[in-house]
Amino acid sequence: MQSKTVIKRLSELPTMPCTIDTMAWNQTGDWRYLTPLVENKPAPCHSNCPAGIPIPDYLSAVKRGNLQEGLALLLSHNPLPGLTGRLCYHPCQTKCCRKKIDGAISIQEIERFMAGLATEIKNRRTRPSDERVAVIGSGPVGLSCAFYLGCLGFQVTVLDARDRAGGALADLPSKKVEAQVLEAEIKRVVHIADINIETSASFDLSKPREMLSKADLVILDPTGLMEETGMPVGAVSFNPFVDEEICGDIIAVTLSGNLKPFKAPMIAHYIAAGRLTAEKAFAYLVRRSDKEGLKKRRPHLSRLAAKVDDILMGHFSTSGLAADAKSGQEGTWDHDRALQEAGRCLSCGTCNLCLQCVLSCPDASIRLDSDKNAVEVDLYHCKGCGICAYECPRGVITMEEINA
Amino acid sequence: MKKVVMGNEAAALAAKLARVQVVSAYPITPQTIIVETLADIISRGELKAKYMPVESEHSAMSSCMGASMVGARAFTATSSQGLAYMHEMLHYTAGARVPIVMANCNRALTPPWNLYCDHTDSLSQRDTGWIQYYCADVQDVLDSILIAYAVAERVMLPVMINLDAFYLTHTSELLVVPEQEVVDAFLPPYKPSNKLDVDDPRTFGNVCGADLFTSIKYKRYCDGLLVESLWDQAAVKFHGHFNRSRPAVEAYRTEDADVCIISIGTATGAVRLAVDRLREEGMKAGSVRLAMVKPFPVEGFDRATASAKHIIVIDRDVSYGAEGIIAQEVKAGLFDRHKDMTFTGFISGVGGNDITPETIVPLVQQAISGQGEAVKAGKTFWTEVLP
Repeated sequence: MQSKTVIKRLSELPTMPCTIDTMAWNQTGDWRYLTPLVENKPAPCHSNCPAGIPIPDYLSAVKRGNLQEGLALLLSHNPLPGLTGRLCYHPCQTKCCRKKIDGAISIQEIERFMAGLATEIKNRRTRPSDERVAVIGSGPVGLSCAFYLGCLGFQVTVLDARDRAGGALADLPSKKVEAQVLEAEIKRVVHIADINIETSASFDLSKPREMLSKADLVILDPTGLMEETGMPVGAVSFNPFVDEEICGDIIAVTLSGNLKPFKAPMIAHYIAAGRLTAEKAFAYLVRRSDKEGLKKRRPHLSRLAAKVDDILMGHFSTSGLAADAKSGQEGTWDHDRALQEAGRCLSCGTCNLCLQCVLSCPDASIRLDSDKNAVEVDLYHCKGCGICAYECPRGVITMEEINA
Repeated sequence: MKKVVMGNEAAALAAKLARVQVVSAYPITPQTIIVETLADIISRGELKAKYMPVESEHSAMSSCMGASMVGARAFTATSSQGLAYMHEMLHYTAGARVPIVMANCNRALTPPWNLYCDHTDSLSQRDTGWIQYYCADVQDVLDSILIAYAVAERVMLPVMINLDAFYLTHTSELLVVPEQEVVDAFLPPYKPSNKLDVDDPRTFGNVCGADLFTSIKYKRYCDGLLVESLWDQAAVKFHGHFNRSRPAVEAYRTEDADVCIISIGTATGAVRLAVDRLREEGMKAGSVRLAMVKPFPVEGFDRATASAKHIIVIDRDVSYGAEGIIAQEVKAGLFDRHKDMTFTGFISGVGGNDITPETIVPLVQQAISGQGEAVKAGKTFWTEVLP
């Protein structure tokens, strides 16, 4: 920190009463009570998504024209966008802040468009493993769970007694989901996660030990089994939304009443159930193998969500923006249309370096760090006035009691 | 070029000739014509300046200060209540050492409501640190504003140019309008050595402990003492360009005067007529006009009153519980010589009453003879008061 220049003679005084040197030595950060926390927060659409898809993140990639990056982000939270794009009741759009200006972003249409993209995305195995997991049933829970476990590096086999994969999804009428769409979705899941799906498979749920001879963990998918089967002997019931951890090598995924029997519009909930099961299965397998004691850091889901009230609509002009927020004709969105629609996203809760905070800080204590490509608060001088948090159009900055 | 214009128009013309860059003002009778004329001039593109209409005089002065601090030549105008409303910013601008020039149209302070001439508005701002100049005629308005910028930018203090309401603001006289090139030669663009500059960031008016605070105020006090001579130097330079002079103190027939009548503003014209009349009657009278009132022009005043035995001050203002404000200033200026002379102060013309030779002559005669109601009163005598 620079040192203080001391005026010792009358002649050294400037005519105008002003500083003659840097005031950086005056660390006014000591005066601060509340501290601005610059941290991206889930957007309202994201918080309201049952599958927890970081919608503004992938839309922002789409906006920039990085479609494959956008697709990767989308798939990382939702392996079946072609199905959610058709079936989901899209609560994301209900909470879209853009509604206050013209209309909600047609997130579902964009999702469908994204699902239709050809992709060469391939999972990079993060933990090559010998452990085998058998997923019984290829419904949305089973597919989602198998996808994530496959992506985590396990050898996953999905067994389905029927001649077609998809479980409950395969029973949907074609006006809801055409057979080739389901097929394409499953093909991508298999391709990316590098898993096997055996249809017309024969297994005997009454002989669990037999199944365990081929796998270290058996997961029963309630959306993939043909009919309500009784709990196999030795199986442990596991509700991924409720149970903290898996205890047992044969688990029967159970779902709460609102998800039973299978309801197509709730697809995102099933995907979430599959992902949570996969995360907890991973923890179980790591714990059991006791190899390196490595702990998988779970996605930070408890972050404070950006509230609709935090989004300052005054900062967003309505002029020059696509006003036709109504969803277009089914499945006819082309590249330009999807990009245009993604361009309407306000990126709520996500800093896009608009620098409104930098412009409004009266102490020049929040600046763009071009190396990190992020705004940084100078805590030596920030007095905690909170103007940056007030001005942030996306609710990214919040004032917190932080003891430095 | 010669033109017949009102005092207010002369003020606007002067601002134009001074090439001011920012005008921020709020209209008030009797000043309105100044800002309207300037707004016209700027909107016609005759002056490249930013005109900032604001919601109050306080904001007018604040924005002028901001403009001045980034190095722009700023001008504003106000009157009476508006000046009172500016009070806080008058202290601030003088303390910030920004060379703003402001025209103030001297109007009575309310209540009761009165739009006419009275000097209490500006004289009650005498301790703000502003340089105060009181104009005698329309030409003086134009000339003094040009000199004011030269002085203000030299000493880094703001200047208030005062115009008597209606006697000057709304009275048309012949005005010699100088050529722009001549004005440019006299008054070069404002180039401050220190200003608000993003490329050289510094804090202005920041927190400061008692140690430096005292020294900063002392420095400003010392600079204030230089103002009279700086003004007179600028007036000499002005004479070189325009062949007219506007010294800080203007004396009339004082070379051998026993009696010096002190006045400010337009009343000086009547005082001079009264002096002529008193001289015809054999009294050695002279007129001293304090063009500059703050800082008190000690040297010019001493020169002009060197032979005086009787000092008479006509105040168009009052300090309640005391006497006329000019009377106080003059008394302070005379302290070293007070044993050699008599002093009489009158308050006259308050709230717009006309000060005429007919008012002045009998007052002077009574003061000198020591007889009459003005003397019997035994305190500051007010003219035009109900019996």
